[in-house]
Amino acid sequence: MTRAEVEVPRRAVVRLARFGFDDGERAARLLADPALGLWDLERNEPADPEAGPVVAALARAGDPDLAVRSLHRLVEALDETDGSGASAAALLAGLRGSGLLRSRLLSVLGASSGLADHLAAHPRDWAVLDDDGDGFPAGADGPSARDLEGDMLAAVGADPHDPPWGVRLGKGAPDASPVRVGALRLAYRRAILSLAGRDLGDGLSAEDVAAELADIAAAVLTAGLALAVAEQPESAAPCRLSVIAMGKTGGRELNYVSDVDVVFVAEPVDPTDAESPALSSATRVAAALMRICREAAWEVDAALRPEGKAGALVRTLSGHRAYYEQWASTWEFQALLKMRPVAGDPDLGRSYVDALWPLVWKAGDRPGFVGEVQAMRRRVEANIPPAQADRELKLGRGGLRDVEFAVQLLQMVHGRIDSSLRVGGTLPALSALSAGGYVGRDDAATLSASYRFLRTVEHRLQLLRLRRTHLLPTDEQQLRWLARSLGYKPDARGSAVDVLQAELNLHTREVRRLHEKLFYRPLLSAVARVPGEHLQLGSKAAGDWLRALGFADPEGALRHLGALTGGVSRSASMQKYLLPVLLQTFAACPNPDAGLLAYRQVSEALGGNQWFLRLLRDEGQVAERLAQLLGSSQYIASLLTRTPEALRMLAGDSELEPRTAAVLAGAWRQAAGRAPDPQAGMRVLRGLRRQELLRVAAADLLGRLDVVRVGHALTDVAVATLQVGLEVARRAYAVEAGIDVAAIPADLAVIGMGRLGGREMGYGSDADVLFVHRARAGANESRATAAANAIAHTLRRLLGEPAPDPAFEVDADLRPEGRQGSLVRSLDAFREYYERWVSVWEVQALLRAVPVAGDEELGEAFIALIAPIRYPAAALTGEQVAEIRRIKARVERERLPRGADPATHTKLGRGGLADVEWTVQLLQLQHAADAPQLQVPATTDALAALAEAGLLDADQREALRSAWELATRARNAIFLVRGRPSDQLPRPGLELAGVARACGYGPDTDPGQFLDDYRRTSRHARAVVEQVFYGRAETGS
Amino acid sequence: MASMDRQQECVLRTLEERDIRFVRLWFTDVSGYLKAVAVAPAEIEAAFAEGIGFDGSAIEGFARVYESDMLAKPDPGTFQVMPATKGGPSDTARMFCDITLPDGSAAWADPRHVLRRALSKAADMGFTFYTHPEVEFVLLKDLPTDGSAPEPADNGGYFDLSTHNVAHDFRREAVFALEAMGISVEFSHHEVAPGQQEIDLRYADALSMADNIMTLRHVVREVALAQGVHATFMPKPFTELAGSAMHTHLSLFEGDRNAFHDAADPMRLSSTAKQFIAGILTHAREFTAVTNQTVNSYRRLLAGTEAPTAATWGRANRSALVRLPSYKPSKVNSARIEVRSPDSACNPYLTFAVLLAAGLRGVEKGYELPPEAEDDVWSLTDTERRAAGYEDLPVSLGDAVAAMENSELVAETLGEHVFEFFLRNKREEFASYRQNVTPFELRRYLPGL
Repeated sequence: MTRAEVEVPRRAVVRLARFGFDDGERAARLLADPALGLWDLERNEPADPEAGPVVAALARAGDPDLAVRSLHRLVEALDETDGSGASAAALLAGLRGSGLLRSRLLSVLGASSGLADHLAAHPRDWAVLDDDGDGFPAGADGPSARDLEGDMLAAVGADPHDPPWGVRLGKGAPDASPVRVGALRLAYRRAILSLAGRDLGDGLSAEDVAAELADIAAAVLTAGLALAVAEQPESAAPCRLSVIAMGKTGGRELNYVSDVDVVFVAEPVDPTDAESPALSSATRVAAALMRICREAAWEVDAALRPEGKAGALVRTLSGHRAYYEQWASTWEFQALLKMRPVAGDPDLGRSYVDALWPLVWKAGDRPGFVGEVQAMRRRVEANIPPAQADRELKLGRGGLRDVEFAVQLLQMVHGRIDSSLRVGGTLPALSALSAGGYVGRDDAATLSASYRFLRTVEHRLQLLRLRRTHLLPTDEQQLRWLARSLGYKPDARGSAVDVLQAELNLHTREVRRLHEKLFYRPLLSAVARVPGEHLQLGSKAAGDWLRALGFADPEGALRHLGALTGGVSRSASMQKYLLPVLLQTFAACPNPDAGLLAYRQVSEALGGNQWFLRLLRDEGQVAERLAQLLGSSQYIASLLTRTPEALRMLAGDSELEPRTAAVLAGAWRQAAGRAPDPQAGMRVLRGLRRQELLRVAAADLLGRLDVVRVGHALTDVAVATLQVGLEVARRAYAVEAGIDVAAIPADLAVIGMGRLGGREMGYGSDADVLFVHRARAGANESRATAAANAIAHTLRRLLGEPAPDPAFEVDADLRPEGRQGSLVRSLDAFREYYERWVSVWEVQALLRAVPVAGDEELGEAFIALIAPIRYPAAALTGEQVAEIRRIKARVERERLPRGADPATHTKLGRGGLADVEWTVQLLQLQHAADAPQLQVPATTDALAALAEAGLLDADQREALRSAWELATRARNAIFLVRGRPSDQLPRPGLELAGVARACGYGPDTDPGQFLDDYRRTSRHARAVVEQVFYGRAETGS
Repeated sequence: MASMDRQQECVLRTLEERDIRFVRLWFTDVSGYLKAVAVAPAEIEAAFAEGIGFDGSAIEGFARVYESDMLAKPDPGTFQVMPATKGGPSDTARMFCDITLPDGSAAWADPRHVLRRALSKAADMGFTFYTHPEVEFVLLKDLPTDGSAPEPADNGGYFDLSTHNVAHDFRREAVFALEAMGISVEFSHHEVAPGQQEIDLRYADALSMADNIMTLRHVVREVALAQGVHATFMPKPFTELAGSAMHTHLSLFEGDRNAFHDAADPMRLSSTAKQFIAGILTHAREFTAVTNQTVNSYRRLLAGTEAPTAATWGRANRSALVRLPSYKPSKVNSARIEVRSPDSACNPYLTFAVLLAAGLRGVEKGYELPPEAEDDVWSLTDTERRAAGYEDLPVSLGDAVAAMENSELVAETLGEHVFEFFLRNKREEFASYRQNVTPFELRRYLPGL
């Protein structure tokens, strides 16, 4: 190449780089090449005054380097086809002379490597961009659908004035040779080139581009049909065939590169003929059409037909109708919204539309319709790989599909009654919805603008390489190319790419609030005047909507909405702003009605407190979290209506981190100490406890804590309550006895047992404790005992007595002699008792004894006292093991309440908590003396230690662990959902659905699946219990 | 108010046009017994909308007493007018029901739901499941309940052309009645034993087929009674004569393509088919309690009969558990496999569900198909069988239940509720069977001991 040898002066490189070429040297060389003759290296400026604008236009292109390279290739290609150089000269003259050609051709060359390649291969096609040649003048209308069809038919040699309507012999192309298919391919590419030139050069709107693309697709289908008829003349004779466009082609909102969705309908030419031979003929023609279009342009996708890919490719009109009348599911009607006959027999196509159109408007009557459509939407979103979710223009949150779905849903619901909504494309439908008063005017306008914007980005993106993609590129260079071909220039926001990103964020944010705008905000207009909106939804329509959204009692919901937004106060107007977001979240909860009611109660409890509404308004996640919690949990609703201030903790993630016992006790001690008297101190303590319970419950339901951490957090709350409560009780005793606190004659320690000792408390757990005391040095033993008893009684009474705050039951029934025994014993009395009396089950209970409050040294002394009892050096005798097994078997038989289902009883049922814990404890009693790592009070820790010590194999441990965790989680979930404890999983219904959701199951999962999983997990655990605890040999083969 | 769908409208219209007086709502309990609630046509509209309430605890395996409210929701697609018995138009129709709980969710105890779940798993993998059973049963002169041996209704043999006998009229009437109910009958002939009959049902999707089998059992019994004989689907009513099998042909389709066919394979068997067969063989021991659910079933699964005793497969091998029937090369869509263990007393919903699940497990996990069994498996000694790697099927209900207890596959397929009930029920059945002193013991031991 001679050009490579030319020395490019440094200053030319710099000058061209300033124009915007990345590779200034190469640009200079190409522009200066005599073939282009646009740059004078000597003078370092455009070769002549007319060359200046051409260079400037190249530099403005999306990728200037690509543009100049492609222009050079194009000129070389023209020279190759025409040795005289006249063709190339004509192009260059055109570029110098016509601003329109410059703008179209050079922006295409810089925006699309795909079309540049096409031009290099078919250089003469540049003429379709020239208003002097075959192209369209500036500002003129583009080609009509009819024009395009004529062009394509002529390209395959068919008569444009006698198109293959009716697919009858003799009206197709002369033959279906590969040459004719090739001609169709070229005609298609030319049409795309012409459109791209006007799109980029003249600035067509996104919807005009999309409509013309759909018209081009229809024209290709018609010409493809002409070829298919020529290929299958015998098959074409006896049938009428119509091609119905669906999806984006049907809605005239097609992309540059996309599959074309169609369905086929056919009838015999002679209506008295049998259908099946005509159908097989039509199927052959349709299959040929699909193949030809694939070769010429794009994939024809017929998967939207009845029964999808499993169904027959072609059906008769009555076949289609029967399917949609009997079998079709909701989304299939949604697809019909955009149907449009585009090729083949126009009468048959019209009959198809006439027959099915009315059915679309009945689909909204089907039970569960809205839920089905929304579930589909969620599935689409869930299918995007997470790494792509932010780059996905079409399917991601706030993407194109969001707009399309929402609009179609509204159309199908309100279009039943209002026929003005029965239109095909997304933008026309949106304006019909706005005109009909179903969507606010401003909302419709911003949505339309965002939709247009996203479509434009998608168009440009696909043009780059003529690939079918909806993913934003990741590499900087491609992004820059995209941003520039969209016409972005650097501004205050940064580079062109930054500007594009900023715009994109703006629009996707708008679209993300779409459901709120379209589905929820209009509801308020039914009960209140929303300022600035002229929209007024009738209360009947609003009720229909609420029911469709999952509210069981729409009248009640409307009453709550009315009460919340009534009046002209500042609060009412903030509620009007907030409720759409809240309603959206309620609607996704298991029990929307309860959520809305609880929200009203919380709002009313707060009266006119505007900080709360400002918090909800300004901290986006607080509102959503609040709604989610209120819609899922009666427990949280009841706590919140008493402590609405606690809402603040929803604002930050760090607020949802549970506090440790030490932190809580420190803070509470001071607060309780500030109270005027011990009784008031206890009230303060109980209020603070309520707030911590709320924190844990909220963090749990929001999925921020696993089940073990929930146990730790609730135990910490209990421990802090006992620690501070004990101090308050001592003060109360001192006040009553008229002595100083320091003069109380006894030290007291609280030993945590059971779940408290194991750090695995649930929301409904009582605190199992033992009280141990020791007389102070020199104190009278019986006075000390009396004082300790009085303090323990006061503690239990003050924590447990009915009050506005939840009671905290302190249960000391595990003490020696149970309820007959003295509430508090001295260390010596414990020693004496354990040496004489202790029974196996008492030893078992001691396994989880841990000092939790009171005198630390005394607590440790107690633990030292029981060590040889709970970890006996001598192995358990066979009798003792049998005794434990017998007690357990009796508990299983007797303790299960009447009517309880052992399969789903979380505590005493098969594979439930008791099964797992007894198994663990038996192994601890047998082996903990020899294996100190087994000396742990928590069930999950003990399981890990048992596996490590080889006393359980990995499968056994896993079976027990997952059953214990699932049962614990289920019990917690039951408490959260109902606000009351229960050990039995609820019966199928709202509560079970709520429990399944609180256990992490998605809204689309059958709660029966949760039950099945529960039963399976517990069955596996029970099998291990049978082997390990009961010592039964494995059954079966 | 939700609008009626078209199928429901069609049912209501037919009730009117055909002057139907009673509608029987049918469903099946876990053990495979047909249950019916009769309602007046006026109640059908409400039944479609809300279902008909009934006490689930009255039905074997459905519910515990405290949660016994259940709803039967008729499936309008299964509506059929019952054939007339003694001349004159019929005034009775029937529909199968899906069982739901009061909140509208499906009852996991309903065998139809068990099969639906299995089918929807297949659908997720892109498959539809078709079955084609050959249902055998025996016509008897009487139905003694005192334990004495029954007497067959005739003494014909295989393919006998009995010119004039009960069997002939019976077959004509039964086929007529079934076809009148929209059930296509492919073939019916006299099986090898006296009194024995076989009805082949033209292949259909598994759910419709299970419904059809339930219908067939009912219709056959009714027709027999009208002819003055009795029909029994007991697997082995006679010690000396062959038992009543329900050989079942299975195929999977992907869209309209038979997924078992592969023209390139020497046996024209796709890898999907091979893995499916391997799945059936691997899990055969686990699901036998479902396909052969009575104590009596194991009298049929004996060496030397036409019934399989080991988990093997073969082409012309009638002793194999899975047989590949031959089909014309042009009939690609006829590619299928035949499972030969099920008997006519099984619950067809559960049977199809476990067979499908076992096969699909093979496809999912890519099980390897073991070598074909060319031998007549019966003629081998135990040692030879073990050497060949053939795993014996359970020899008793107790054996089968023990094998099923350890099966995660069967538990998942049936769902924990049905799994648990089924095991409990069969353990009890086997335990009460073991309490009996049999005629065999009396004959053998009484005189000599």
